[in-house]
Amino acid sequence: MSAQYHPLVKRLLDGELSLAELPAELRAEGEQALRLIRGVDRAPVTLPATLDARVMATVRRHAASPVRRAWRRLTAPRDVELRLRVRPWTVWAGALAAAAAVVLLVSRAPAPSSPPRDAGLPARVASHDSVYVRFVLYAPGAQRVTVAGTFNQWDQNAAPLAPAGTNGVWTTTLAVPVGQHQYAFIVDGERWVADPRAPAVDDGFGRRNSVVAVIAQGARTL
Amino acid sequence: MTALRSALLAAVAATLPLVLAGQGDVAARLDGRVPPEVVRAVQGIAAATAARGLPVEPLIDKAIEGGAKHVPADRVIAAVRALAARLDEARLALRQGGIETPGADVVEGGAYALSAGLSRRQTSDLVRVSRPPYDPALTLRVAATLAALGVPPQQTLDLMESMISAGRAPGDLLDLPSGVQAGVDQGATPAQAANGLARGVAQAPGQNPNFVPPGQAKPHPHKP
Repeated sequence: MSAQYHPLVKRLLDGELSLAELPAELRAEGEQALRLIRGVDRAPVTLPATLDARVMATVRRHAASPVRRAWRRLTAPRDVELRLRVRPWTVWAGALAAAAAVVLLVSRAPAPSSPPRDAGLPARVASHDSVYVRFVLYAPGAQRVTVAGTFNQWDQNAAPLAPAGTNGVWTTTLAVPVGQHQYAFIVDGERWVADPRAPAVDDGFGRRNSVVAVIAQGARTL
Repeated sequence: MTALRSALLAAVAATLPLVLAGQGDVAARLDGRVPPEVVRAVQGIAAATAARGLPVEPLIDKAIEGGAKHVPADRVIAAVRALAARLDEARLALRQGGIETPGADVVEGGAYALSAGLSRRQTSDLVRVSRPPYDPALTLRVAATLAALGVPPQQTLDLMESMISAGRAPGDLLDLPSGVQAGVDQGATPAQAANGLARGVAQAPGQNPNFVPPGQAKPHPHKP
């Protein structure tokens, strides 16, 4: 059942997202999934009437076994009382020796090194921080819409948008690493279109790129 | 003189492997994405840029973007060269603003501000007022975003400066672009929307409890 749900809806079911954090077009699906889960949770559990009798018969059979009783006598935990008589100065000496050992170990331990960083990877890719960003484009009549930018190495096949109904709205939600990114939509594999809802700058090639800045502070975008 | 020459040779010998490794990395990133002549040119531009202590990642991104958009090789090389020059200009603006050795994110923020239309002087001015708790990388990005939304650069700078001098919390700056966008959605021009935000700043003083208006001494705690 759950295999048919959108990955974000699955995260909702796992408790990682709230309903309000879902994109608007997924909320109905999310609500339906939550309703189903609640229904399952509240379904009464009916046990067969003979279950009690079968369980008790098994318990009695095990309890009656002499071998099992002997084994239990050998292995069952028992309370044992130990009395120690120590002088106070021995306690203090022990504590001081333990403290000295800890100091020695800490001073001889190697300094923590910074995590290895592959020089071939840029910092923005090495960072694990990312924020879900929803990309939306109104492109009526389009057969295929994708989004490419610095967050996916301008790969125009990496992030396809899905049509949201039949009204020409295309959308996708991507995990975008913290940092500043430029991007554009590609309509039908050939037309590069800037996001009309986002700030834009000259791309240096005579077109415009949209810009999204993903900020670590509060995990948000500008 | 001999000692100086030896030191220079040692420095070159020490940095050469790094430069060559960097060039190999650039080539690996660009291989198959752009024509060979673009790879060679970007390797050279990136090496020179890295030698000046500037980030090269935006240059590689720009070359890859040109390849993805099927832009002719000479235009890709020109765009990468122009971007390298903008990174240089950004660092100059940052230095004039008081940051002698800016990090890569600040340089990229400065380059974004320049791309969005702020002048070098305006960029320097913004950096100069972006003292703690304000992060210059963040203020530059916010200003650049406002300018890219269509707010005139000088008005952008004035709005940012008024927010900072009013002692608004750094996080409040992040709301400015969405504020402008909301105004535009209601039919205002970006300049009108920014004007509305500036009036709001003037009417509602800052909430930062540590803020002391310029020229005023920090009040002493009252002693009974």
